[in-house]
Amino acid sequence: MKKKTLAVLLTAAMTLPMCMAAIPAAAEEDGEPYKAALLLNGTLGDKSFYDSANAGLTALQEELGEDKFQFKVEQMGATSADEAKWEPTMYDYCDDGSYDVIICGTFQMLDALTNAANDYPDQKFIYFDEAFDYSAGGEENVYNVMYKQNEASYLVGAAAAMMTTDESLDMIDPSNKIIGFLGGMENSIIKDFLVGYIQGAKDIDPEIQVAIAYVGNFYDSASGKDMALAQYQNGADVGFNVAGSAGLGQIEAAVDSGRYAFGVDSDQAALLPDYAANIPTSALKNVGNSLIRAIKLDMEGELPYGTLEYLGFAEGGVELVMDEHYEEILPENIRTTIADLQEQITNGDIVVPTAVGENAMSNDEIEELISSVQVQ
Amino acid sequence: MWSSILSPDFFSAILRAATPILFAALASSIASKAGITNMALEGIMLFSALFGVIFSSLTQSAWLGMLITMVLGGLIGLALAFFVLNLKTDEILAAIAINLTATGGTVLLMVAFSGDRGVSSSIRSVSAPSVVIPLVDQIPFIGQILSGQNVMVWMSLLAVVILHLFLYKTPMGLAIRAVGENKNAAESVGISSRKVQYIALIISGALAALGGFYLSGGYMNMFTKDMTSGRGYIGLAAASMGGNTPVGGFLVSLLFGMAQALANIMQLTSVMPYEIILMIPYLTTLVGLGVYYYAQKRKKERLSGK
Repeated sequence: MKKKTLAVLLTAAMTLPMCMAAIPAAAEEDGEPYKAALLLNGTLGDKSFYDSANAGLTALQEELGEDKFQFKVEQMGATSADEAKWEPTMYDYCDDGSYDVIICGTFQMLDALTNAANDYPDQKFIYFDEAFDYSAGGEENVYNVMYKQNEASYLVGAAAAMMTTDESLDMIDPSNKIIGFLGGMENSIIKDFLVGYIQGAKDIDPEIQVAIAYVGNFYDSASGKDMALAQYQNGADVGFNVAGSAGLGQIEAAVDSGRYAFGVDSDQAALLPDYAANIPTSALKNVGNSLIRAIKLDMEGELPYGTLEYLGFAEGGVELVMDEHYEEILPENIRTTIADLQEQITNGDIVVPTAVGENAMSNDEIEELISSVQVQ
Repeated sequence: MWSSILSPDFFSAILRAATPILFAALASSIASKAGITNMALEGIMLFSALFGVIFSSLTQSAWLGMLITMVLGGLIGLALAFFVLNLKTDEILAAIAINLTATGGTVLLMVAFSGDRGVSSSIRSVSAPSVVIPLVDQIPFIGQILSGQNVMVWMSLLAVVILHLFLYKTPMGLAIRAVGENKNAAESVGISSRKVQYIALIISGALAALGGFYLSGGYMNMFTKDMTSGRGYIGLAAASMGGNTPVGGFLVSLLFGMAQALANIMQLTSVMPYEIILMIPYLTTLVGLGVYYYAQKRKKERLSGK
């Protein structure tokens, strides 16, 4: 008898949330706060991307107050062992139904998002840092935001090209024109960084050579260090890492070899104060800014769901850290040129080539660009 | 490319890359000699990479940090032995459990200790020092390779010698090999196989701990999430390929280190897709394994007169 009661109770408990989920979620008008869920296929504390997203949402909550805006962060982990739970977690949140918007990002979440967006047409999603494929049609519930990382890395490339022959810098060997690039994996985002970097460097000095290496993942920092050391030992004196925590290996390699390395995705000079002398500046994607912008638009019902937007310097989607530390390391002539280039990008005088989106270069064009700066 | 390969930097890179593999290979070989496959090396190394950073920062001494890390590594080895020998868990499953625990557990510990989640940047750890050998560093080329290496590179080479002597010249080593060859035969002459296997796994854990310590306190100077990235498994393969002998493991580790260093140089100048280049170290190991076992098979066939 007891068992039966228990079974009835359990069934009731299980059906209740389902009924609740059926009630339409968007209800800001009745004074309900706007609720966002941030699903991270990683963890907070990356001092980069995910922290930036979290900081953006936190800032928005402080601005609007908890009665207007609430959010929840779900940390799903990044390793291959964690991958299996990304999609189920996404579905759990869709099932919940109480969230006005579910936010996720990076290319690794694309499949899970595509499936969920099709299965839950009433649930709204914001997807950052990878192009969503709208070609299948029907996904009018996904707003896609991308960053013009090529614009930020264009400035990094230009700075690197100016530095590599600048005798006034103490950790530079001006005898050659080799600069380095360390990527995690060869995907379209990393390629976008790369083409911007190369173009920026070439526009400063057409004879520049770029040593390129890929770690093959985003976590093997020791291998990253070895690859970067090989670059520095073979003539590169400035490097740029776009390899997640594996990229930290390049920064250590720069310190060991007495060279420079540019940071990415977070202010790595501030993150690693011991190594700051080797890190002139970092190229940032302002995920937090873009989420604040998107949610505010959504609250007014003006977020263009079903479309992809690229945010660059003009929209505050990307930036180069230009603080006192930057001014301390880089001489004034380089900084002036960089500021000038940024101005030209913002007002559209310079159009930086890209590897993503409608105006993307073809693979052949990218190959050609890469081989034009091949180390001899 | 050739000038890069013939530079002392290249040989230094080989030793650097080979060292963590070598520690893992030594750890694997002593466990294998005692008849247990220690697949938990990966997890022990990952834990130890974090422990090294934490304890060297707490004690502000690389040596004390290393010692504590070795003790903790030995304890994980002990735990594995307890699961396998007392609770009769499958040794592979117990190892997988340890490895998975390490992936999440290291991040959990790092958060608890410092608030960092991806990189231990706010833990002020002390790395093992590099040694400049007087006089030797004056010798051109050779001096540049030998001098200035991290002290743990030398420790790994010393460990090869010590482990070889231990396994082949001491009664305990004999007992370990006997248990690994035939447990029942060893028991029949009064050796406690359980005790011997416990000892072997504890030593194995401590050796793997050294490999982990080197990763975050020598190779790199900080802990990053999942930084072992398969080096424990490579060590396992290297030991197996080296016939589970310390010297064999050493040679294979060098081979792997060389392939790794070569791949890094190739990425500099080659037009080949990087995915293929990144395969080289693993492919070399795989081909090496194949060649070794084929040779073994031929040898056996010859001996049995077929």
